[in-house]
Amino acid sequence: MFSLALKNIFFYKGRSLTTFLLTFVSVFLFIVYVAFMDGAHRSMLKNALDVYTGSLQIYHKEYREKGGYDYLIDDVSKPLGILARTKGLKAYASRLETYGIASSKKHSSAIMLTGVDFDKEAQLSELKKALKKGTYNSKGACVYMGETLAKRLHTDIGEKISFVGSAVDYSFVAELFDVCGIFKTGMYDFDSQSAFMNRRYFDSIFLSEGMATYIVAMADSLGENDKIAAHIADRLPPQLELYTWKTLMHSMVELMKMDSFFGYISMGLFFMVIFFVIMIYGFINVNARMKEFGVLRAIGVSDARVSALLFTEILLLTLAAMALAVPLGAYVAYYFQVHPIIIAGMSDMYKSYGVVSDRVPTLFDPVIIAWNSALVFGLNMLSILYPIRYVRSFTPVEEIHHV
Amino acid sequence: MIRLVNVNKYFYRGDPREVHALKDVNLSIQSGEFTVITGPSGCGKTTLLNAIGVLDNVSEGEIWLEDREIAHLPATQKTDIRLNSIGFVFQAYNLVPVLTVEENIGFIMRLQGYSDEAIRIRVREVASILQIDQKLDSLPNFLSGGQQQRVAVARAVASKPKIILADEPTANLDSKNSTALMEMMKELNRKEGITILFSSHDEYVMKNARRTILLNDGAVVSS
Ligand SMILES: Nc1ncnc2c1ncn2[C@@H]1O[C@H](COP(=O)(O)OP(=O)(O)OP(=O)(O)O)[C@@H](O)[C@H]1O
Ligand SMILES: [Mg+2]
Repeated sequence: MFSLALKNIFFYKGRSLTTFLLTFVSVFLFIVYVAFMDGAHRSMLKNALDVYTGSLQIYHKEYREKGGYDYLIDDVSKPLGILARTKGLKAYASRLETYGIASSKKHSSAIMLTGVDFDKEAQLSELKKALKKGTYNSKGACVYMGETLAKRLHTDIGEKISFVGSAVDYSFVAELFDVCGIFKTGMYDFDSQSAFMNRRYFDSIFLSEGMATYIVAMADSLGENDKIAAHIADRLPPQLELYTWKTLMHSMVELMKMDSFFGYISMGLFFMVIFFVIMIYGFINVNARMKEFGVLRAIGVSDARVSALLFTEILLLTLAAMALAVPLGAYVAYYFQVHPIIIAGMSDMYKSYGVVSDRVPTLFDPVIIAWNSALVFGLNMLSILYPIRYVRSFTPVEEIHHV
Repeated sequence: MIRLVNVNKYFYRGDPREVHALKDVNLSIQSGEFTVITGPSGCGKTTLLNAIGVLDNVSEGEIWLEDREIAHLPATQKTDIRLNSIGFVFQAYNLVPVLTVEENIGFIMRLQGYSDEAIRIRVREVASILQIDQKLDSLPNFLSGGQQQRVAVARAVASKPKIILADEPTANLDSKNSTALMEMMKELNRKEGITILFSSHDEYVMKNARRTILLNDGAVVSS
């Protein structure tokens, strides 16, 4: 039966070639398309997390629901110690956020003032890279503020602003700060509300030594993040809790899911068309060979063997097409991972999510490639079921007289 | 060897188009017979051969092959009987187009699981009887009608079935080829002891048969 199948493939060239080419094209396109889609998502996400969010954050329980100074982490040494012993983290740091009113000579604005360790932030986030004017790592009563905020306050480097807010013990804070640096990330909310200050001076004013609103960490590889997060979460003191980027960037994750969903839908429609074309070709082929099947069955070939014959034919065609398409698709996916495509303007489109690069590497993932190939393979195998049913629905006599 | 008991066959039963193609057919065919079924066009020759070869269902009655009733077996067992006990030769050669003459002749033996060597020997043997041994490597489409029909007979014969059913095997052949084919079938009947049952309205063919069954309008007139 195997050699008969092989001979049929070479004999019925039109059908074989069509099936082969369509399968080749669909496997290849599918692999490349998904690699691009996943790659774009991965790089957008990586970009966004790199800016400021990190891949995981640790909070005191209830802070994210209720907020306020009552739910600060009051001793960062223990969680920081856990992070220090965790492998696979690129960097980590604690941040303390306060809210208040900043005023220049002309204007006032609500701001979020965050105490950070500038050295650690330089490894962890893009704060340093976002520097536009002045200095990044300033000591003393210096703030590093967003460009939009500076514009709103009509202030600039070298000028002073006053700040009114409260320390972590709820005592009143009113201070004068120098504007030492101005940054721009491109994220509007961030640039129009945020200001940063070095932790040492910040703690002396806000009485927050050893405390944190949250601790942020960035994993070396996003793929490992869940594993690392689970490892850390297991060791945290009971009053602390951990969030990964999947929760922290919920809206972006949802957006990507939607995008993937539509991507798969459009691919799905494309495959439906391919599937039907392959099926129709298979059907036309089977129809033209009706008489042959009638003879085969009449001289004692069982229905099971006729089915096996048809099945073997499509199997061989599919495997041959995939043997070419999978390595080729995988190569393309790999090549563009190493040499990313540059899509001009992409960073503008996704600025609000903090995407800062136009480079879009594909995602080369053998597991995804295997799944996608298996999907096309399965569809091809399904496409012969109807023709097989059709053949079996006739008696051999009917088939011999089939026109 | 073959016995038909009150066999009836209707097409479109209960429909205004109903055809009563076989009417109470009772027949008995002995082992080693060389018999022709004849009658006017549409009298039911093909229908009768298809019924005996369990290619088509009958509406009523029994068909016995040796001591087994075969008309009402499940499909897989019918396939088995066609494979192992019956050889078919159809009116229009019906070879497998992608297989060579040699592969076509050996096809049934291969399904039956004979060794390559046994198949090779047997194929050459029947091919030489039927004088197609020069064409073993050709594809069917490159053969003349007479040659194709001889390949079809060779295929039916090669696996040594108990009986060969041939539906108008000479209908597409000229008289020279018909004569040659009949001579060969006769020889196979004599040498290999195969029971042969075929339909024809060819005068010459009928003269050669040892027994003639005459059908008319689905009923056996004489046998
Ligand atoms: N598949 C079918 N559906 C409906 N009627 C059929 C079918 N096959 C045969 N018949 C009818 O049954 C009757 C017998 O047909 P059959 O083919 O057996 O005749 P035949 O003797 O072989 O004729 P011929 O010498 O022309 O081949 C005819 O009236 C024919 O119209
Ligand atoms: Mg007929």
